[in-house]
Amino acid sequence: MTDASVGRGAIRPLGRVFRISPDGPPLGTVMTFLTPALLVYLVFTAYPVLRTFYNSVHILHPRAADEYVGMQHYVQMTTADPTFWVAVKNTMIWAGFAPLLDVGIGLILAICLYAKAPFARFFRIAWFTPVLISYVVVGILWMWIYNFDWGILNGALRAVGLESWTRAWLGEPDTALVAVMVTHTWKWAGFNMVVCLAALSALPKEVLEAAELDNCNWFGKAWFVMIPMIRPTLVNLLILSLIGKMKIFDLVWIMTQGGPLWATETVSTYVYKRAFQWQTFDLGYPSAIAVFWFFVVLVAVMALKYAFRQRDRLEY
Amino acid sequence: MPHSKAITRALLLIAISLYTAFSAGPFAWTAMLSFRTTSEISKAPYAWPETFRWQKYVEAWTGSNYDTYFVNSMVITVLAVLVTTVVGAMAAHCLARYRFRGNRLIYFIIFSTIIFPPQITIIALFQTLVDYGLYNSRVGLILVYVSVQLPLTVFLLEGFFARLPQDLFDAARMDGYSDAEIFWKITVPIGMPAIVTTVILNTVHIWNEFLYAVVLISDESKRTLPLGIQKFMGDQLEDIGMIATGMMIAVIPIVIVYAIFSEKLIQGMTAGAVK
Repeated sequence: MTDASVGRGAIRPLGRVFRISPDGPPLGTVMTFLTPALLVYLVFTAYPVLRTFYNSVHILHPRAADEYVGMQHYVQMTTADPTFWVAVKNTMIWAGFAPLLDVGIGLILAICLYAKAPFARFFRIAWFTPVLISYVVVGILWMWIYNFDWGILNGALRAVGLESWTRAWLGEPDTALVAVMVTHTWKWAGFNMVVCLAALSALPKEVLEAAELDNCNWFGKAWFVMIPMIRPTLVNLLILSLIGKMKIFDLVWIMTQGGPLWATETVSTYVYKRAFQWQTFDLGYPSAIAVFWFFVVLVAVMALKYAFRQRDRLEY
Repeated sequence: MPHSKAITRALLLIAISLYTAFSAGPFAWTAMLSFRTTSEISKAPYAWPETFRWQKYVEAWTGSNYDTYFVNSMVITVLAVLVTTVVGAMAAHCLARYRFRGNRLIYFIIFSTIIFPPQITIIALFQTLVDYGLYNSRVGLILVYVSVQLPLTVFLLEGFFARLPQDLFDAARMDGYSDAEIFWKITVPIGMPAIVTTVILNTVHIWNEFLYAVVLISDESKRTLPLGIQKFMGDQLEDIGMIATGMMIAVIPIVIVYAIFSEKLIQGMTAGAVK
């Protein structure tokens, strides 16, 4: 065994996927370290992904051979399944608005703390807590908050004389989706706050001091200095949030199961319903939806990355 | 000027206090509900508990199967986190320390699964586990959790391991350490801060996980806490008091972890997003 078997450079070129090293380490050593991870990856990620692709062009009969149907599921999905389109629409609405809300609230909170609010540590910990609570608990809790008779939202409206505004927030198609979205943002705003705060804290003090000398107020500092400088972080957060909304399942399933009247149906809940709830025993059709959605998520992420690519990188 | 500055500060403080009430209030309210009976709650949903009924926790624990759910959650979380950590650290060490053809390709393949929506695997995972007799088994669920948490674990650990000074490894090599010894005696102890971060992070994720559990587990005796709470909610819709107690049983361990490791936890949850 030679010295060369331990990687020399800790800093490796990122752009290159293949690296050629004539004096590399023995294959055995590398394989010993990598095999468990690769095995887990192959059996529980790669194979299921391929199997889902296979499912999506077959009808899976429970007691008979799989029947190849080509693109039939995809055609049915796009042309003859209104519920699917409702699910896509709801998920798109969610993925379109909620990331801005999540990141926006997180950024404002972070700037508040960065502006040297007292008890910053306490606030930071209190605001982050919802991130750690399971969707099941969050969902039930907010079902109570939205409860028609004794939920605090209607209670507050009655207290200020807005009796006519009270409603069964999760029971009416007009408000159910917004109500679940608010709950999801409640859970995740703290996460965005903490990330923004970390990015702000990493900024060089001189720049902000210079802005202060120029008699810049807080809004000016935030808008013209802070936001442009932490832009890469904000883009990352938007993308993370978008991915989160595109696969949203847990909260919807707990709170509304997609109802009322498909008002909160998302692609994930619809896939779950078609696969495990409807007694059709056909896993092919929901697999086709999953494959379709997989590519939508990929394209959305790449499009966002492209749209927000940094043309002229700020160096500091 | 100082006058308007004071007003601005006061407004700021009011705004963040309001947000704190919004963010932490619901949780504090659940904690109060968990000590009150449903009949007390229905009289005054937002009152402070007159008597703290600790026995509700005993009741939930023994009478409503929460002991089973809790033990299942505990066993599944501990084992899945343990396996994820060992497997992930080995892979991360290899990818960070050894130069070989395909290194970056493997890293990229593992890492890219972070953005996969779970639907793309969940149906086939269900089929696969049924095929191998691992459906409705805790072992099956543990293995699935390992695979779900692995990409993030490898990503975080590789980033940290790659920054360890190369001299350490060269010195160890000269002292005649084997590859396995280098991993266990150099990378693991020195990489401990990063390993602890991933352990905490994975613990929280797996403890709270719902989708895979609901698809892959069907027996009452194998349910984890999130499934148990959902089941209890379905059966006893009106028993607000007991549901709240069950919710607290699921949340308390996380609160304890948070109280001890809040900095590490926040650091772990946000690693990768800061640029």
